[in-house]
Amino acid sequence: MTSPIAVPELTATTVAPRGRIHWSDRSRQERLGYRLLLPTLGTVVVVATIPFLLAVVQALTSASGAFVGLDNFTNALGNAALYESVRQTAIYAAVVLPTEILLGLGLALLVHRTVRSPAIRAAIYVAAMIPIFIPQIAVGVVFRLVFAPDYGILNVLLGDTGRNQILWLSSPPLAMLSVATVDVWQWTPFVYLVLFAGLQTVPSESVEAAQVDGASPWRQFVHIELPYIRPLLLLALFFRIADVLRVFDHVYVLTGGGPGTTTQFLSLYLYRVGFRFSDLSQASALAVVVMVAMTIFYTLISRFLPVETR
Amino acid sequence: MRRRWTLGRIVTTAVLVVAVVVFVFPLYWLIATSLKTKAELYAVVPTLVPQNPTLAPYGDVLVDRGFSTLLLNSIIADLGATAAAIAIAFAICYPITRLPVSRSVRAFVLNWSLSLRFLPPIAVVIPYFTIVRAIGLYNQLPGLIIVYTIFNLPLAIWMLRGFLDEIPLEIEEAALVDGATRWTAFRTVLLPLSRTGILAAAIIVFAFDWAEFLFAFILTATPQSMTFPVGVQGLVTQFEIIWNDMAAGGVIAIALPLLLMIAARRYVMTGLTFGVIREK
Repeated sequence: MTSPIAVPELTATTVAPRGRIHWSDRSRQERLGYRLLLPTLGTVVVVATIPFLLAVVQALTSASGAFVGLDNFTNALGNAALYESVRQTAIYAAVVLPTEILLGLGLALLVHRTVRSPAIRAAIYVAAMIPIFIPQIAVGVVFRLVFAPDYGILNVLLGDTGRNQILWLSSPPLAMLSVATVDVWQWTPFVYLVLFAGLQTVPSESVEAAQVDGASPWRQFVHIELPYIRPLLLLALFFRIADVLRVFDHVYVLTGGGPGTTTQFLSLYLYRVGFRFSDLSQASALAVVVMVAMTIFYTLISRFLPVETR
Repeated sequence: MRRRWTLGRIVTTAVLVVAVVVFVFPLYWLIATSLKTKAELYAVVPTLVPQNPTLAPYGDVLVDRGFSTLLLNSIIADLGATAAAIAIAFAICYPITRLPVSRSVRAFVLNWSLSLRFLPPIAVVIPYFTIVRAIGLYNQLPGLIIVYTIFNLPLAIWMLRGFLDEIPLEIEEAALVDGATRWTAFRTVLLPLSRTGILAAAIIVFAFDWAEFLFAFILTATPQSMTFPVGVQGLVTQFEIIWNDMAAGGVIAIALPLLLMIAARRYVMTGLTFGVIREK
């Protein structure tokens, strides 16, 4: 019964009960609350908002500081390389997101339905957290050692160390596939953990009732488990989308955006414009566009996020 | 019935074994490589197990390449940023969880900080680069500390808010009724009760600061203030990679967050999902 490492039984909540007490001197308490909160919050909001304002200013001026109106935006948005990077990011997302969700869901269902031993469950729980906590740069190191020619273990295992070995990171369609695989390797366990916790909330009576009625495993999933884990599926999906749109570190060390621009995702493109070509004005215009786009995106999805913001 | 169960068991075992191999083998290869001698790297067919295991690559990385300085930089920057983020998050979470501030203010804090989770760092670092240079903090650890503090504040706020919400208001109230001042009630009742939560949040924030790469990459330039991941990046992207040194750098970069993760495993998922997943 006892596992080597004690692990909590996790559950998911979307609503937490929250009582408010009635203070006799409520208004005084309230004033104290604002007196404590507002200076800190104000400072933080200002410090976090300054970059946005500065990006706007920088986007409206040239490198020498002259006001140039919307020229930088015109340049930034008129550059075909931008749309190429958006397209690459979309392809990456289209490969990575469904794979991670489906694999994570499949593993969660498998373990939930078939693994009964608490020790094995605990071991899987801890093991699944490992990839999440590996710094992206170190993930890059790990997969250099997997994909590299000559020393990379993948070609070694394929018995392919000669002259014509597969160049996983430097031939066009494979490079995208390789960096996407790395993402799947690192983040499928996260999706698994979220959905597994969700499955724990499904009442066992409903499942047993369905089994008595002779429901197939598939129908049991669609009609009983899916409704319970739907909010968590959304949560995992939205967090993964946020991460995929910002993907940088492991791609930077594995392919540097190459070969050519085939893995030059949005963040790598902004990096190149701002710090390789040192065009901070155009990069600022891009940054403003990205920040506005992400704010709109957040506003659209925040209603569907099962996170309690009350 | 029994047969099906056995078949299911075989399939499950097979799938789990495959999953474990796929997830663990790359890490094994990392560790094995970090224990190889230079000579062994040039074997015609790379050896699966180090023939003469050695810790020399770790010495090469930390001493000869001077990465111990980067390690120290990382620890200073991350400790500073973690302490600042936790302190600020506490100052924000205390009023919104313990005092009757309006619900809309509370909703604003939570919503606003959650929205930061969706902001790509590259978009933020472009203006920060200009700011940090303008105020003389370019290539300085304090510059990194400020940026890290802001960037991980949402996580700290959400974790602390979750922990503080779970401590019943009545406990502090009882102290107040007994004539304690709010400060005393805070110091003698709330703070001891929230110690675990603070520690858990601090550990997870620290691990995230530790893994951060992009900000440090752009806001630092010399070993004087570079962080460890920036150094490791240099080992991966240099023209001729020295495999065992690179692997040793990777192992060091992984070891610390992994130990912290195991220490804080109860709270990891709560933190990563902004409180949606909790302990039963």
